[in-house]
Amino acid sequence: MPLKEHTPFIENIPAYALGSLDAEDASALENHLKTCNSCRSELTVYRAMSEGLLAAIPPKSPPASLRRQLQSKLPSARRLSPQPLRWSWNQFALAFAVGVLVLLNAFSVFQMQSLQRQQAQLSYQLQSEQTALALLSYPGVKTLAINTDGITGTLLLDEDRNAVALFAWNLPPLPDSRTYQVWLIGAQGERVSLGLFHPEPSLPFTSFSIISSENISNFVGLGVTVEPSGGSSHPTGTRLLTVNF
Amino acid sequence: MKDVFYFHRLMKYTPAQFSGWVEYNGYMSDLEDAKLAAQVTQGDEKAFLALYDRYSSRVHALTLRILNDPMMAEEATQDTFLKLWNRAHLYLAERGSLLPWLLTIARRVALDRLRLEARRPLLSDADDPDEKWQSIPDGNTLSDEHRWRSLHFAVQSLSAEHRQVIELAYYQGLSQSEISETLGWPLGTVKTRLRAAMQQLRREWDR
Repeated sequence: MPLKEHTPFIENIPAYALGSLDAEDASALENHLKTCNSCRSELTVYRAMSEGLLAAIPPKSPPASLRRQLQSKLPSARRLSPQPLRWSWNQFALAFAVGVLVLLNAFSVFQMQSLQRQQAQLSYQLQSEQTALALLSYPGVKTLAINTDGITGTLLLDEDRNAVALFAWNLPPLPDSRTYQVWLIGAQGERVSLGLFHPEPSLPFTSFSIISSENISNFVGLGVTVEPSGGSSHPTGTRLLTVNF
Repeated sequence: MKDVFYFHRLMKYTPAQFSGWVEYNGYMSDLEDAKLAAQVTQGDEKAFLALYDRYSSRVHALTLRILNDPMMAEEATQDTFLKLWNRAHLYLAERGSLLPWLLTIARRVALDRLRLEARRPLLSDADDPDEKWQSIPDGNTLSDEHRWRSLHFAVQSLSAEHRQVIELAYYQGLSQSEISETLGWPLGTVKTRLRAAMQQLRREWDR
């Protein structure tokens, strides 16, 4: 090949060895290299030299932490690292069953407590009604009708035994912070507490019965007020009904 | 896919590319590297760490020179050795020594990272003091070290313009057209200066 044609290629060899020759020139040189032994020899030298340039930099050690990081990516480190908890289907099913049992148990306890509360209320209700029935069967019992502001009912009064039984319909329900309180009303307007009661939401009527330590015949009437939970020493809330003896 | 591409490029460059390294580390050291690389292929972590201990300072110096950022250089160094771990079977000892193969990977990893980060090359000289050359401990590598040291000083003795084109072409991976655009020099000037710089380095290389 004439030197004049050969020169442009041989001049591009250093840049080609560095990987810096533009694509078009690189392609032309590669074609030339297929048939030119002297240019291939020249390229061999420049490539070796360019590799020498990679090492012709003063060594610099990386930080020690890099070796540890690299080590942590090797298979033995990955095997030693804690594995995430993986459950088999059997374990999952067992855990699910235990969870369901715990929930059922908690529900049963809650239901049992609810039933016990209902039983206590019904027991009280039954006792109250039995007292009322006993009073009804007694010859000297007074029966007084109640009809105040939509609340109706009956008051049974046994002055010989100082027993009182109150049956009231349509009593409005109360929040837990409030309670009904029954008062005996004296001739001078004084009030003596007979007791507290709460309407039973599951029943259409409410009964309250008590045998008082007071002599009922000394009183002229009976009233019911709404008081704070726990009751009051004298009436403070709304008066719900009043019955005169 | 990118890795495969790089390794094809590497294979394309061999054996001529590695032929300049026949003397590197001496015959015994090359045998040792080849044996360690073969053990890495079998999953031998101790062999892998031995190669890391032997060459990490070389790889790290190169990645730091290219990236000029300690954090990125550490990542590139780590990536380079992970490639060695995963691709050791692609290294063929009969085609050349391990270090140039590893440094060629490191250069490509670092340049790839540079492109990904869209960083433009910094036109600074190497900031490593020449005194560090004194810390090379391996007696087997003294002849190669001498050659690299000479090449290093040859680069340092180039004129500023010549050193700049070598820096941008090789350590920043720019083509001649890109160098022309970056420095605002005519393309012909870039070609002339690059050729002249390489010829000057060759005189030192051939000595």
